[in-house]
Amino acid sequence: MNPNLQQVNHFFNKKRFRLSLILVILGLAYAGASLGLGFQTHSLLNIQDGIAWLIQNFIPNEASKGYWHEISQQLFRTFLVAVAATTCAAVGALFLAIIGAKTLTAAITVSWVIRGFSSLLRNIPIVAWAMILLFSFKQNDLTGFLALFFMTLGFLTRAFMETIEDFGTEKIQALQATGATYLQVIFQGLLPEIAVALMSWILYMIENNVRDATLVGLLTGTGIGFIFNLYFKSLRYGAAGLVVLSVILLVVTVELISNLIGRLLS
Amino acid sequence: MIKPENQISLPTQVPTGPRLTIPLRFRDRRRITIMLTLLVLAYITLITLPTMIPSHFKLGAALMSFTENIKIMFLQPHLTNTTFLTLLGALGQSILLAFLTTLLGSVLAFFFALASTRRLAPTPLVLGIQSLMAVIRAIPTVLWVLIYSVVFGLGADAAVVGITFHSVAYLTKVYADSMDELSPDSIETMQAMGLKKGTIIRQAVIPYLVSSYFSWTFIRFEINFADAIAVGAAAGAGGIGYQLFMSSSFYFNFHEVGVMVYMILAFALVLEIISYRLRSVTNQ
Amino acid sequence: MLTVNHLAKSYDGEKKSLTDVSFSVRSGEVTVIIGPSGAGKTTILRSINQLIRDDEGEILFDQIDMRQLNRVQLRRARSHIGMIFQSYNLIEPLTAIENVLHGCLGTKSNFAGIFSIYNNREKEEALKLLQKVGLEEFAYQQCRNLSGGQKQRVGIARALMQHPKIILCDEPIASLDPKSTITVMDILRGLAVNDGISVLINLHQVDIAREYADHVIGINNGQVVFDDRTQALSDAAITGIYRKNANLEGSLVHES
Repeated sequence: MNPNLQQVNHFFNKKRFRLSLILVILGLAYAGASLGLGFQTHSLLNIQDGIAWLIQNFIPNEASKGYWHEISQQLFRTFLVAVAATTCAAVGALFLAIIGAKTLTAAITVSWVIRGFSSLLRNIPIVAWAMILLFSFKQNDLTGFLALFFMTLGFLTRAFMETIEDFGTEKIQALQATGATYLQVIFQGLLPEIAVALMSWILYMIENNVRDATLVGLLTGTGIGFIFNLYFKSLRYGAAGLVVLSVILLVVTVELISNLIGRLLS
Repeated sequence: MIKPENQISLPTQVPTGPRLTIPLRFRDRRRITIMLTLLVLAYITLITLPTMIPSHFKLGAALMSFTENIKIMFLQPHLTNTTFLTLLGALGQSILLAFLTTLLGSVLAFFFALASTRRLAPTPLVLGIQSLMAVIRAIPTVLWVLIYSVVFGLGADAAVVGITFHSVAYLTKVYADSMDELSPDSIETMQAMGLKKGTIIRQAVIPYLVSSYFSWTFIRFEINFADAIAVGAAAGAGGIGYQLFMSSSFYFNFHEVGVMVYMILAFALVLEIISYRLRSVTNQ
Repeated sequence: MLTVNHLAKSYDGEKKSLTDVSFSVRSGEVTVIIGPSGAGKTTILRSINQLIRDDEGEILFDQIDMRQLNRVQLRRARSHIGMIFQSYNLIEPLTAIENVLHGCLGTKSNFAGIFSIYNNREKEEALKLLQKVGLEEFAYQQCRNLSGGQKQRVGIARALMQHPKIILCDEPIASLDPKSTITVMDILRGLAVNDGISVLINLHQVDIAREYADHVIGINNGQVVFDDRTQALSDAAITGIYRKNANLEGSLVHES
């Protein structure tokens, strides 16, 4: 056989072999993980049971209408807490990011300390935050606010830092060359340029925090998460369904508003 | 790892609806939007903050106890009610849960994404799938797990299905967005050569997609790990999250919580190193 | 070989992009379409394989009207029409040999396409074509690492893999340096002369058209203003083709 042809065959066979190997490894890993967790793949085929159950039980009925007042109140509260936590965290994060960004920092050690700090805040599970805070601050909105605040602070600090670093050293040096002071460089040169990017991060975090607020509420016994748990555990499924619907409504609305703002910014 | 979701939530096209009566200049529109948004956010925050602090609340005492607990957690971690091996097993459970749901989610989402990208699918299908996914995404993962734990019974099946639901919805969106960003040229070229749809997907779409597919899937794995912990705690679905919940809200043992948090942080560090490596490989 | 009759195309229903374009292309010849940018050259080329659906007219390729074909028939017809692009349009992450082999997938099943199954004859042919365009040592290079001229030659090899009766070239040398331009044009000319393939090229370089074309079609403002052998392409004719705002009919709007 023509040696060149053999080379082509070898090339395709090698590619195919690599792909098959990856698939086999993933397949084995899947089987191993299922075994380790006790997950039965065929339960995926029963997903429709869940949907059917959801439709049967979660459709809000006449009785659940009475809960609407309480639900809407809690929903609004949850939204406010999510927004407040994000805004406060954004202010703190901007401050930390300006001090810590490699292109602006006074000492590279400061940059690494802030980087490490933000990574720590982000990676401590929200469950741990919620629980520690619950112990000290008891069952109230402040607990949920602080849990969201710490997570968001860690996340946004990192995001803002990278945004500032992407802005580049040259532009900052060019501004400094005009004789601008440190504060002038930041407030007149840097911030107006990256405002759109920062804004889109904040909007994204608000969206995310509205969703996470439900989880935090569930853990700390506050807000919309708490009343869902309450209705769900006491088998008042109609009311629980109303909670789910209202959460969908809130999240989708926030997403739409944030898309609208994003479009105005583009 | 920085999550580039800001690309997702902000479509770049300018709306083609009716024009404003006063045509604002481009930069002005931006500035006004930012100013107004900041004002609204500041207003909401300022009216909310005072109402959050309950009456008869001793902020000082709470802060004292909080710092004390943080100190216990980070400086004096040790175990009393459980063994390190048990916790390691629980952490393993959470990692397996995150892995399994990411794998399932990425495979299913790939096909949904093919059916919901403007490059390949008809508009009604695109809109239909995208709206469905938006609704699924709007429901927090914990609620999905709670709902399925009633149908399937509390356990692995409910946790896997619940987290997978959210993963599929999220990944479908980001995969479809990456497909939308592909240049139409290569697909058009393949059509000009008379290739069939399956062939075009395999030979023209997938080769360009591989790297973003991997990075998004990895990001989702990180999210799923966090979700696995949260679900374990809030829905009693096992794993390190459940242990965390028990130690903190039943035994009030923050020494133990400290150990678990350190374990989770160690794994997060591993993930961060992997993502750093992945980024430097793909940036080459 | 290819006859285009009374082709017309409008965008938005008003602005006419093409008005009554007719010409024909003979086998074994290089036919070049020249004209100012925005005159409708690309629209003509893309109408031939129906990448752009034209509004009126007739496109006879091998006595079959491309406009009357259904989806499956059109796909089959397209698999024998090679196309070469200004931006090469290769699948950049894949190797040169894989890109060339894509050319023969038009006649194969989806199964073969999805699993990249090619028989030995096809693989040998792909190698021969890469040799023909002088790229045999780059067969296993990812296309994103090739130079512009090399990419365009891979594009030609891919088109040849389709066993085309006609090759449509949309500004094939617009992004190339002078040396690669000559290499690519020599190869295209060779295809017409030696292999009897019709080659239809959109160009904006008149000197290149004069050197390589057998037949020249001049387009201005969506209309054919010149259609003759290359020898007849006088300087006056060129001025006529490139004249601004050739307002032949009052209704025409000049495209910038």
